[in-house]
Amino acid sequence: MAAAGSGLRLLAGEGGGGAASSLSMERIRSLTDLPELEAAYSRLCGEEKGVEEELEALLEQQSTIESKMVTLHRLGPNLQLIEGDARQLSGMITFTCNLAENVSSKVRQLDLAKNRLYQAIQRADDILDLKFCMDGVQTALRNEDYEQAAAHIHRYLSLDKSVIELSRQGQEGSIIDANLKLLQEAEQRLKIIVTEKFDVATKQGDLPQVERFFKIFPLLGLHEEGLSKFSEYLCKQVANKAKENLLLVMETDMSDRRAAVIFADTLTLLFEGIARIVETHQPIVETYYGPGKLYTLIKHLQVECDRQVEKVVDKFIKQRDYHRQFQHVQNSMVRSSATEKIEPRELDPILTEVTLMNARSELYLRFIKRRIVSDFEVGDSMASEEVKQAHHKSLDKLLNNCLLSRTMQELIGYYITMEEYFMRETVNKAVAMDMCEKGQLTSSMVDDVFYIVKKCIGRALSSSSIDCLCAMINHSTTELESDFREVLCTKLKLGFPATTFQDIQRGVTSAVNIMHSSLQQGKFDTKGIESTDEAKQSFLVTLNNVEVCSENIMTLKKTLESDCAKLLSQGFGGEQAEAKIDSCLADMAAVSNKFRDLLQEGLSELNSTAVKPQVKPWINLFLSVSHNIEEEEFNDYEANDPWVQQFIINLEQQMAEFKAGLSPVIYDSLSSLTTSLIAIELEKVVLKSTFSRLGGLQFDKELRSLIAYLTTVTTWTIRDKFARLSQMATILNLERVTEILDYWGPNSGPLTWRLTPAEVRQVLALRIDFRSEDIKRLRL
Amino acid sequence: MSMEDYDFLFKIVLIGNAGVGKTCLVRRFTQGLFPPGQGATIGVDFMIKTVEIKGEKVKLQIWDTAGQERFRSITQSYYRSANALILTYDITCEESFRCLPEWLREIEQYASNKVITVLVGNKIDLAEKREVSKQRAEEFSEAQNMYYLETSAKESDNVEKLFLDLACRLISEARQNTLVNNVASPLPGEGKSISYLTCCNFN
Repeated sequence: MAAAGSGLRLLAGEGGGGAASSLSMERIRSLTDLPELEAAYSRLCGEEKGVEEELEALLEQQSTIESKMVTLHRLGPNLQLIEGDARQLSGMITFTCNLAENVSSKVRQLDLAKNRLYQAIQRADDILDLKFCMDGVQTALRNEDYEQAAAHIHRYLSLDKSVIELSRQGQEGSIIDANLKLLQEAEQRLKIIVTEKFDVATKQGDLPQVERFFKIFPLLGLHEEGLSKFSEYLCKQVANKAKENLLLVMETDMSDRRAAVIFADTLTLLFEGIARIVETHQPIVETYYGPGKLYTLIKHLQVECDRQVEKVVDKFIKQRDYHRQFQHVQNSMVRSSATEKIEPRELDPILTEVTLMNARSELYLRFIKRRIVSDFEVGDSMASEEVKQAHHKSLDKLLNNCLLSRTMQELIGYYITMEEYFMRETVNKAVAMDMCEKGQLTSSMVDDVFYIVKKCIGRALSSSSIDCLCAMINHSTTELESDFREVLCTKLKLGFPATTFQDIQRGVTSAVNIMHSSLQQGKFDTKGIESTDEAKQSFLVTLNNVEVCSENIMTLKKTLESDCAKLLSQGFGGEQAEAKIDSCLADMAAVSNKFRDLLQEGLSELNSTAVKPQVKPWINLFLSVSHNIEEEEFNDYEANDPWVQQFIINLEQQMAEFKAGLSPVIYDSLSSLTTSLIAIELEKVVLKSTFSRLGGLQFDKELRSLIAYLTTVTTWTIRDKFARLSQMATILNLERVTEILDYWGPNSGPLTWRLTPAEVRQVLALRIDFRSEDIKRLRL
Repeated sequence: MSMEDYDFLFKIVLIGNAGVGKTCLVRRFTQGLFPPGQGATIGVDFMIKTVEIKGEKVKLQIWDTAGQERFRSITQSYYRSANALILTYDITCEESFRCLPEWLREIEQYASNKVITVLVGNKIDLAEKREVSKQRAEEFSEAQNMYYLETSAKESDNVEKLFLDLACRLISEARQNTLVNNVASPLPGEGKSISYLTCCNFN
């Protein structure tokens, strides 16, 4: 029992708990009860059976395991073989590795040796070169072959300094030392010779020789000196040419074709001369001095350019009396006294010349800028950002601070004030001389004023200076917005004379009128308006003027936009140029709206003071025509129209006057206003009348005629404006009160009622045959 | 005007003697920079900055003018459309302060009568070199009915405050104007109401 128990426990341990005996020996021993013992026994029997089955299964596997063991035994000798092979391979690899390392270290040594050899050869070459240079310089100098000599010196200068040291240390040290000394002396001598020869060539104006020695300077490491000496030579040429040109100016006949712009022309010649010089000599500088050196050359040239510009501008100021003219303009602007006022026309030529001068300067500066920028770009392609920034800064400084720029800025400063004066005075003149030809919708001043404004801005634009252009756009905006708009405003304030008083007024003013018209001779004076007819026409013309102004401003803005785009696309102006122009032009466009507002105000004024006082009485006549009528009167009305035909005739007559005097667009707006007025006034009188059934029908006929007529004379849809009246006619035409329900609420169909229920009741009550109880009873 | 993304657009023009730091004030405000060795402005410069004030997007168009005399006629042309002028002087430069009356005359002559003018004393970082006392400047600005502020573009002192306060005042001014205009006259803009225009009682 114990053995079996322990065997069981052993199995249970191996089986991982699957067949563990549930009863321990202790437990079995403590069992005393028979049924309990029996139960334990049967359980143990069951367990034993399970264990036996498991054992059987394991035994079955024995043969397979044994056959595997046999195979493994057979593999043994093979493995030994492999192990031996592997060991051999490892030995071979180690050997190869050592060998390779040996070889590679030798190669390294060889490489080092080779490099040293090369260096040695290089140095030997250098030393040979040095010797060659020493000999060569002497020969070349003797033969006056300075290029060759300079080439030798250049070679010597580009040699490694250590080479020279090395050659000194050699056996022939003292000889080399002596040679070296000779070489240095030759260098100094060559420098002196080249400088001298260059100076001589400059003096003689011998360009080939000048260029010859100019090319030698950089070989001797004298870049700056070469450039400055060469520039000096070029400057002298510029100066000579400029002097000649200025003398020519002094001799120019005032009748000459170009006399009016002679100073601009002189500047142009100067700039063209310098540009040509830059163009011609840039390749030499680039080739012999390397890229990035053009700036130095131009910086030198600019000094001379400034000097010459100063002379030309001084002469210009003196001869054209520029400063005095400016003073004069300033005085004229401050003092209102008309006695001393400068005639704007006199300024015209000088203003044109100044803008031309500035345009030429801008063109020249742009040329220089482009050239230097592209030269820097090539030179700085490998440079750091800092160097580029520094170069950029120095270029800006050159362009902004040169006397040419400052002088032109000064001239343009004066120009703007004078141009503003020119514009304002000429506009004032145009206003003063304003006249309107019969049959013309607008008067002369509108075209004139816009011609002037366009001319002034155009001239500012032609200066190529963005700031100058913007300033003139600003001044034009001011001129149009305050001064000129004020003129039109004042005229509108005079109002459209009320027609009811027309005849009385005509009588009173006729005497004055005759006197006046003799002075005006057919032109009507726009300042003091005496005659009513003229006042009327003046008002209408002013309305047209206002509209055209609004249009013209937009046109002007668009034209300027495209003009400016052209200027900007040519590369004028800084980064913000476009934004500045846009902003100034936007301000100008805003003025167009102000004119539009003024037009609306004027139209409302016309409608309320001229149209309303006439139309209202005509409509009021409706009240005197009874609509409480029977068959007989209805037929009578059919034959002799009591109201609407006459009203239409009157209306047509009155509107004809406006149609003739107003531009189509304004007339359209006015007839729209008038139509609204008619609808509102007619509604009022209808609500004051009473209607019979036939009276309602009569009103419906009248309304239809009126709408039919108005539809033919207006381009606006007027049905909408008359919707309320049409609906009132519908109500007045009903057979019975309750019939309204056929049209109301859910039965309204496509009809949208514009009348409120209260209003519907109000209109129904106008019918004398409708009982008020019925109307009250309606559920709307 | 257009459907751009802002509620208000104001034009601010900086004026004052050359070298008082107008460009630096603008650059500090718009770009947060203080560029040392700033060259003289040529003509006018133009910067835009949009700020948000109490939920309103305010676009400030800042015109930085050249102080040098020869650009005067260019800069003058910008006065009239300006909503605000920032008149700047340098607290370390008596001369720039003494020129203020001359600038005020220019404003009187060219600017709109509704323009808001702010007096700015710049360069307070250079306190040891101060030539114009704060009290003097305050008295002056009070007499001229101007708002006064001392700034340092270099140290960024009061720069933000200057522009934002100004924007606030411009907004409230603009609100008042539209209110007045809506009540009194249908004409927008100049406030030159035309007295005869009291019609349109039927639309």
